[in-house]
Amino acid sequence: MSHSTSPTDTHCPYCALQCGISLTPTPGPEAATPVALQGRNFETNGGALCRKGYSAAELLAHPERLSAPLARQADGSFAAVDWDEALDLVAHKVRALQASHGPDSVAVFGAGGLTNEKAYQLGKFARLALGTSRIDYNGRFCMSSAAAATNRAFGLDRGLPFPLRDLDSAALILMLGSNVAETMPPFVRHLDGAREAGGLIVVDPRRSATAQLSENGAGWHLQPTPGSDLPLLLALSHVLLTENLADTRYLEERTTGLAALRTSLNAWWPERVATLTGVPAAQIRRTARALAAGAERAKQGGAPVFILTGRGVEQHENGTDTVTAAINLALLLGLPGTRAGGYGTITGQGNGQGGREHGQKCDQLPGYRKISDPAHRAHVAAVWGVTPEQIPGPGLPATELLRTLGTPGGSRMLLVHGSNPVISAPDAGNVLRALRRLDFLVVCDFFLSETAAEADIVLPVLQWAEEEGTMTNLEGRVLRRRAALTAPAGARSELWIMSQLAERLDAPGHFSDDPREVFDELRRASAGGLADYSGVSWSAVQSGQPVYWPCPTGGDPGGTPRLFLDRFAHPDGKARLIPVTAHGATEAVDANQRLWLITGRLLEHYQSGVQTRRVAQLQAAADQGLLEIHPSTARAHGIIDGQPVRVSNDRGAVTARARFSPELRLDTVFLPFHFPGENNANLLTRDDVDPHSAMPEFKNAAVRLTPLESRE
Amino acid sequence: MSHTPSEKILIIGFGPVAASLVEGLLPGVSAGQIELTVLGAEPQPAYNRVLLAEVAVGSTRTEHLMLSDLNRLRDAGVRVLSGCTATRVDRARRKVHLDTGEPLSYDRLIFATGARAMIPSLHGVNFDPHTEPDLPEGVLALRTLEDALSLQKVLARRGRVLILGGGILGLEAALAMAAAGHTPVLIHHGPAPLGRMMDADGGRLLLRQLSEAGVEVHSQVRATGVRLNENGFAALGTETHGEITGDALLISTGVRARTELAAGCGLEVGRGIKTDEYLCADAEHRIFALGDCAEVAGTAPAGLLAPGWAQAGWLANYLLTHRAPRPDRAPEPQSALTPPPPFTASQVLMLKGQGLELTAAGDIDAPLFAEDGRDVMVFADPSRGCYLKLVTRDSVALGFVALGLPRTSAELVLAFERGAALPEDRSLLLRLDDPGLPEPTAAAADEDTLCRCSGATYGDVAHAVSEGCETVAEVGESCRAGTGCGGCREKIEQMLQHASVLL
Repeated sequence: MSHSTSPTDTHCPYCALQCGISLTPTPGPEAATPVALQGRNFETNGGALCRKGYSAAELLAHPERLSAPLARQADGSFAAVDWDEALDLVAHKVRALQASHGPDSVAVFGAGGLTNEKAYQLGKFARLALGTSRIDYNGRFCMSSAAAATNRAFGLDRGLPFPLRDLDSAALILMLGSNVAETMPPFVRHLDGAREAGGLIVVDPRRSATAQLSENGAGWHLQPTPGSDLPLLLALSHVLLTENLADTRYLEERTTGLAALRTSLNAWWPERVATLTGVPAAQIRRTARALAAGAERAKQGGAPVFILTGRGVEQHENGTDTVTAAINLALLLGLPGTRAGGYGTITGQGNGQGGREHGQKCDQLPGYRKISDPAHRAHVAAVWGVTPEQIPGPGLPATELLRTLGTPGGSRMLLVHGSNPVISAPDAGNVLRALRRLDFLVVCDFFLSETAAEADIVLPVLQWAEEEGTMTNLEGRVLRRRAALTAPAGARSELWIMSQLAERLDAPGHFSDDPREVFDELRRASAGGLADYSGVSWSAVQSGQPVYWPCPTGGDPGGTPRLFLDRFAHPDGKARLIPVTAHGATEAVDANQRLWLITGRLLEHYQSGVQTRRVAQLQAAADQGLLEIHPSTARAHGIIDGQPVRVSNDRGAVTARARFSPELRLDTVFLPFHFPGENNANLLTRDDVDPHSAMPEFKNAAVRLTPLESRE
Repeated sequence: MSHTPSEKILIIGFGPVAASLVEGLLPGVSAGQIELTVLGAEPQPAYNRVLLAEVAVGSTRTEHLMLSDLNRLRDAGVRVLSGCTATRVDRARRKVHLDTGEPLSYDRLIFATGARAMIPSLHGVNFDPHTEPDLPEGVLALRTLEDALSLQKVLARRGRVLILGGGILGLEAALAMAAAGHTPVLIHHGPAPLGRMMDADGGRLLLRQLSEAGVEVHSQVRATGVRLNENGFAALGTETHGEITGDALLISTGVRARTELAAGCGLEVGRGIKTDEYLCADAEHRIFALGDCAEVAGTAPAGLLAPGWAQAGWLANYLLTHRAPRPDRAPEPQSALTPPPPFTASQVLMLKGQGLELTAAGDIDAPLFAEDGRDVMVFADPSRGCYLKLVTRDSVALGFVALGLPRTSAELVLAFERGAALPEDRSLLLRLDDPGLPEPTAAAADEDTLCRCSGATYGDVAHAVSEGCETVAEVGESCRAGTGCGGCREKIEQMLQHASVLL
């Protein structure tokens, strides 16, 4: 069989692993998908894919795909309108609201799934075309705690400051709050070395699929009570210091703050922490000693030791401090910035790394610059062709931005790009009410997501296989996303939409709709910043050559695969040991709300499920959010396997069928967060936020269970 | 612009609980809302008494005990007066008089004076309970860093140390000494250590484990006095066991709240400084007490750190959010505070002696067939060193004692402190300590998923094998099993091997 067109090499649309895939057009209209999708041998996935990746092409010609702008009619229904009409209306609403309520009456909500070019342009569009300070994005719900913690410890935030392949040879990997076996399965291949060495240590309140990888001699599993990761980490560091296992020479040469850290850790001895976490003191000591012995061997030329965190420990109101405690542990072991190992966070969304560097955050400008720093503003203003005064100041972080919508002082119009906060934001019932208070809601999406369904105008945009651009994966490597298909008539790129709206709003500066031009502008805007892309050549990325940021002009064309080998990014070159302490961060369980709810992902679904719930084989495998519950806990509540259960607290109620799972703790139940309506787990989560990162508390809500009569 | 004047908060005492309170008040100090002064009688700031035995045996250094960073506190604007004792409180003038220096004035006053070692009535030992103990050479308590350093000297001479008292601290001291190669002698008056928190069978197992750990134990001893020679302590006289000789006597028979200062200014004193459930000790809501010196709502001080730290966290928040009372304004009723702070007097002991896993909590004094609504569960496997006695009512733990079951006890502590219901099948708790985690027993059915990543079932793989696939890679090409994370490759190999055997 011969194909007229050659395959296109690109990357999977979903998570930050950005597995290599190739797309081959399928001839004829009878083909199930317009392209055939195959795993491609790329470093992060070695040709492997998970079910989400295999089936991603099914969405490209999906019957529910939006093909024309939709405008809300007087009767509440949507009607297709032409692009000019839709864009004129949006521009008119922006002008009218800003005339009577000021520039901040219009807000923008972006996403970590957008390409670097779109993320960059969105930040510029908000500041220049809309003149608003109110822009933030769903990465606030994702990477913000790890970003805040790594910035304050190392002076720089790149998820993995080393290539993913460095994990392959590890002797020990301490993995906290990350279930890669379900969320990014091809990642598991990079754990094989540590498993063979018996050194995969998983910290998770659930005996998750990843925790199970540590069994049978491959390592061990620590199963703390939800929300107690921070004291557990403090105890591990406590043992290192009190048993004189810390790397004193490294601490002396490469860090500051040991004295204060030592005092702060003295209060966290293992027996005390055992009573807070449920993890036995002996297991805490064993883990600390194993890490110390492994680090010692690594420094003598042995296999490296890594500490990795995921959303399970980060999506808390003390997420930044928890990550800081993990970094402190790594620093005490003398690992970061050496070939003996290090600390990293496992970025979630497809472009969760690039998306947090180029100005979608309310306090940030491209290149990881600060919007409050006059020198940073001046640099970006010069690239944009405006004066620094034309760039607004800091805005509001996501949770606050959403919570205040339609309230006095809050924004009255919102533009949403690539996100579905009705499902993904904490206390989702409150978010839906906030969206309904708006004067005008504009959503750019390729499906009618739950958020788009609330909109006044829905603008249909391109999918991953129809657009050109770059993505930055979890290791800070810049990758090329390529178009393999022409977009359906009626759909437009977001770069085009922004350029059209900018023109209608008489925006200063230039808004190109060509990804390569925008990429070149991004490179200039990021030059000299922490996330410096100025030396990233389009041709290198095009050819698939590895390029890791920072990559300044005139430096190594491959950028910086391993950060901090000579110095950390603080002015004195040293990492900061920052004392943190655990307070009662958990929501109290009491007689009324007896159990803790934790939320997370299923292998079959991605994020709010807008895409994966439309893939027949994924939906068939997991069509609803099941409440995972220990059989003994279920029995105590009079619940049988498969029975519908009402899960509720003061914020809301969810209905889900019970699924017996002995992998749960007795005091904890689990719900996945991919599902809408009465099955939406985020109706129960809290919008209390971390003081440093504004990350909401997703993983720790008190709930009660009521068995419902079986409807069968 | 109106500027709220700052208020003066004075904390008497600088132990671990005071240190935690200071930490919690720091935001108010930085904001200029509070002028904070802390008064400590000892020369050094707060330290962790729990580890004094480790310091004495040399397994821990003093720097590992320190709980406060003086420079940091001073930089933050806290006034710390160390080595300074309050002699009198003048409530009318709101002043605290000191042994040295000018009196200090306050708007609100916090007693965190802690407790001192209780010295039993023994011939040859002065036991005035209202002053700091003045003990003969070779007789010591283990309450201060100074005590630990004295004990260190005795141990450096390889001295034989008698430990009087079978409480948790005595046990920990004995085990720390034994672990460091010394020969401690534990002397106590009950049938087994830990008094009412231990039962007879658990006690027997504990005695055996102590002896295996190198601790010489004398039970049911009635001590009468000490005999001294020219070097100091020579022997402990007893009614039951004659004279027990040693080079030093470590007294570990409990503690008594330091209340004299509070009593001297007219505050009500019982087993501690009496406070309401909001830690308030006076009608004006100006004076508070917490930690080991406080009898909160009629409950005697626990002598444990966790309850004191919980009180400190609550009180810091209260002081930050409620201003000091003013003469022109009636104090707001404390009862308006909702909900009342959940201070439990929960007695949870977890032995901090490596190699000996012991946890005790609450009341376990119940017969196996209690028949009064209480349920008792006992598990004993003495040859493996495991024992659990658990007393519950309506599935909620009233108390338990556990030996050799670390995970079970950690989970039981959590459930005990929360008042959470335990699983109906209590043996589930024991299985938490089972090193071999449950393996799926049922044989996989065709529709069961074999490869989570691709969703391929056992049936799909069996089909691929029956169609002639001979390698994992071929199976992957046929049905995608094993091409994701690779975690199921072993299972596919087994199915392939099984198939080749059948051929």
